[in-house]
Amino acid sequence: MNKDGDLLHTVTADNISDSRKRLGKFMVWGTALFCVMLALLQTMYQAGSIEIGFETWRPTLYSYMLWATALCAAQVIVNGEKGKRTLFVLPAALFVVSLVIFPLLFALYISFTDWNLASPNGPQPNGWNNLVQMWNDSFYWNALTNMVYYVLAVSVEYVIAFGLALLLNAQIRARKFFRVVFLLPLMLSPVAVSWMIGKSMLEVRFGPISRIIRDLGGEPTFFGDPEIARFMIMAMDAWTFIPFMMIMLLAGLQALPSEILEASKVDGASGWQSFKEIIFPLMMPVSVTAIVIRIIFKLKLADIIINVTSGGPGGATDSVTSFIFREYRDRSNVGYGTLLAIVYLVLIVIFVTLFLKLVSRWMERPA
Amino acid sequence: MKVDLYNYIKAAQKMNRRQVLKGSAAIGAVAMMPKTALAGGHGNVRAEILKIPGVGAGSPTDSDWQKVGEMCLGATKDNVSEGEFEGVELTFMGLNNQNLHNFLFRGFLKPWEAYTGAKINWIDLAQADYNARLQQSIATGTADFDIIEMGAPFEGDVLGKGMASEMPEWVKEQIDMDDYVDYLKAPVGTWGGKTYRVSIDGDCHTFAYRKDYFGEGSITGRDVPTTWQEINEVSKDLIGKEDPLTGLPAHGYLDPLKGWGGFGFYFLENRASAYAKHPNSPAWLFEPDTMKPMVNNPAWVQAIQDVMDLIDAGAYPTDQINADPGTTAFQQFLAGTGSMLMWWGDVGSNARTSDTSVVGEVAGFGVNPASERVYNAKAGAWEETRNEAPNMAYIGWGVYVMATVEGDEKKKKAAWSAAAHLGGKDLSLWASAYPSGFQPYRNSHFQYDEWEEAGYDRAYVEDYLGSNADSYNHPNAAIEPRIPGIFQYYSVAEDELAKGYAGQYGSAQETADAIAAAWEKITDQIGRDGQIAVYKASLGM
Repeated sequence: MNKDGDLLHTVTADNISDSRKRLGKFMVWGTALFCVMLALLQTMYQAGSIEIGFETWRPTLYSYMLWATALCAAQVIVNGEKGKRTLFVLPAALFVVSLVIFPLLFALYISFTDWNLASPNGPQPNGWNNLVQMWNDSFYWNALTNMVYYVLAVSVEYVIAFGLALLLNAQIRARKFFRVVFLLPLMLSPVAVSWMIGKSMLEVRFGPISRIIRDLGGEPTFFGDPEIARFMIMAMDAWTFIPFMMIMLLAGLQALPSEILEASKVDGASGWQSFKEIIFPLMMPVSVTAIVIRIIFKLKLADIIINVTSGGPGGATDSVTSFIFREYRDRSNVGYGTLLAIVYLVLIVIFVTLFLKLVSRWMERPA
Repeated sequence: MKVDLYNYIKAAQKMNRRQVLKGSAAIGAVAMMPKTALAGGHGNVRAEILKIPGVGAGSPTDSDWQKVGEMCLGATKDNVSEGEFEGVELTFMGLNNQNLHNFLFRGFLKPWEAYTGAKINWIDLAQADYNARLQQSIATGTADFDIIEMGAPFEGDVLGKGMASEMPEWVKEQIDMDDYVDYLKAPVGTWGGKTYRVSIDGDCHTFAYRKDYFGEGSITGRDVPTTWQEINEVSKDLIGKEDPLTGLPAHGYLDPLKGWGGFGFYFLENRASAYAKHPNSPAWLFEPDTMKPMVNNPAWVQAIQDVMDLIDAGAYPTDQINADPGTTAFQQFLAGTGSMLMWWGDVGSNARTSDTSVVGEVAGFGVNPASERVYNAKAGAWEETRNEAPNMAYIGWGVYVMATVEGDEKKKKAAWSAAAHLGGKDLSLWASAYPSGFQPYRNSHFQYDEWEEAGYDRAYVEDYLGSNADSYNHPNAAIEPRIPGIFQYYSVAEDELAKGYAGQYGSAQETADAIAAAWEKITDQIGRDGQIAVYKASLGM
């Protein structure tokens, strides 16, 4: 038995022969070559360069799976017991690569084509045309501008959520009941919210809110004016997702060390002073996390808009996602729609990275 | 017949006890008849099937559909011998809306399967999934079905790409295509001179109005408007007046100002067709030789201007900018807001049967209003002549056989026989008279004597279906172009119109120019030459 090396994790000693190692390497490189060759031939066949090829890409997919299987098996063949450890992770890693990296690369390719499902020619690369079109697309820029407003609304949502979390953290009557009640909007689908509130309660003629306004002598309008319409969308979205921020902040509040709060009381700090000097700074990491996650949710805002206003009036409530939805669903404009989505993804990554960088100094609790 | 229409007529007419007993007796008699007598009694088959289950005897069930299918097999038996399709398997893709469409087809085709020996597998799709599923099949060129229930607007996508099988001559004879209403005859259902479609439905927009708003002593004090000019005048005159039914503010015509996934564009078309569809040409959306959009010519601009005028005048209900066609029909017109509307058949039926409708007793119907002048695109000038052009919005459902059956004559004949059975003359009469999801679409469907004999109230049938019949057979009916991506054009137009209506463009002309520019982009993307060829083919040019 081998007495050197990693004795803690090695159960059996491996005396792997050179021929076995060669076999393992041959399996990996052989199947990889086979897969690459098949992919190349299929690409050439699809491009019309050669006559022989398969009708679909399925054989290429099978060869990729063969390579992945060979790669996993080779770990054990080449490395023995050590390879088995790799085998615990490798299939999962390959799975992620297959389902994330490949589709992303495919989407990147599609976004530089003029693929319209109604076009008889299928996807044809069109260089930078989609980017130029995006640059000149007033609907996209309008939607991006709206997103700025929508994201800014998160700050108001945060204040309300923090207030509610403080209330629910306090010693109030029926605290558990209120915690459940305040969570209810989050349990509703945004589509249900769209219909229950946007299309029913706010219905301008029969909706109960409209009736109350009319009874009070006013003339209700919820989605006729651009600013009011945008505000109503923000309000419905906030109503749904404030509980999400609230529950995160509540969890943060409950995890605060009670000794510090008690010490501040002993030192004679007022409620406001405790909040300002102790609770708020200590809650910073939780707050930033809640805000970042909420912003990411917000950037995907679409369902309420699609159901209630379709982006109107005149694009005042349009979000990037609802606009992309129209490009895809109503116009089958796959190439351009994918480019918009990819650009939006890049913008989100840059925005969130910068935002996290900006707030990183508040992310760690003060010592 | 659309379900709502059936319920409407049922509710509208006063079925007396004798009529119900007549119906019941007929059902009993039919049930006692031997099968051979049922199939052989071809002469009376129309009268007999209309008694299944009998008007006022509840909604038909699967056994009724099978009975009707069995009784209408005569035409099939003339062309197919018993067991001829033994071993043939076909796949049928269709809808499952309101538990109709495919559900009926299953029942109708069960006796056909038993007689011919063929077996049918079914793909049921919800309406919302249908377009995406079909578009995907078209884009990838893969059809995993042999027969499809499809709307005519997709003919450009499917027939234009050679994905369908040409109709054999014997099918044309079996289904008596000459009986179709005019607008469903060629070029609809045809491509490059070849016929592909078995029609099973008809569609058009008709004019619905409130009778209590018009006539002597009414709040308008004038007759029902018959032109768009009059409609705008009335709509403006009504500002500040009170609705006679609800006591709320009175309103005139209800234009939907919000998009509806492309379908909202049909409603601007209703106005525009009267201005833009000149009798001298079937083209009114694109110039056939260049695919240059006509949507920014003076006719279309006038239609957009009409809507903008009513917005500026404050003639619409509050928040109309957020009202899609569904809102104008079901939340406004039927609920007593507004006095005039354009819509498909079911708004009239809902007027009587919907719980939320308050206009059942005061709803009247007519054809798409005319215009006092028409734009002659060929001459580039307005003509001061009255022009009427009903809008055949969506054209209607049909059954198509896919090219997958080519190369196997037995399978091809089986598929066409199944399609012909569903589009048969007698069977279609039953489908138009009972809840099926389909509207009448043959001239023989408008023989009101048959309806009366079956137990329907003649006055109602004549009044309501008459507006459809007049639209279908109109010599200047406006047919939509069956070109690939037609709903892309409509969808992008809705976006631009929304901007125009919200005042983001300087004028109706600017709005129309923006639509035209967007349409040019789509045409270039799909391929201009191909679109020109397909457009011409769709117009029969």
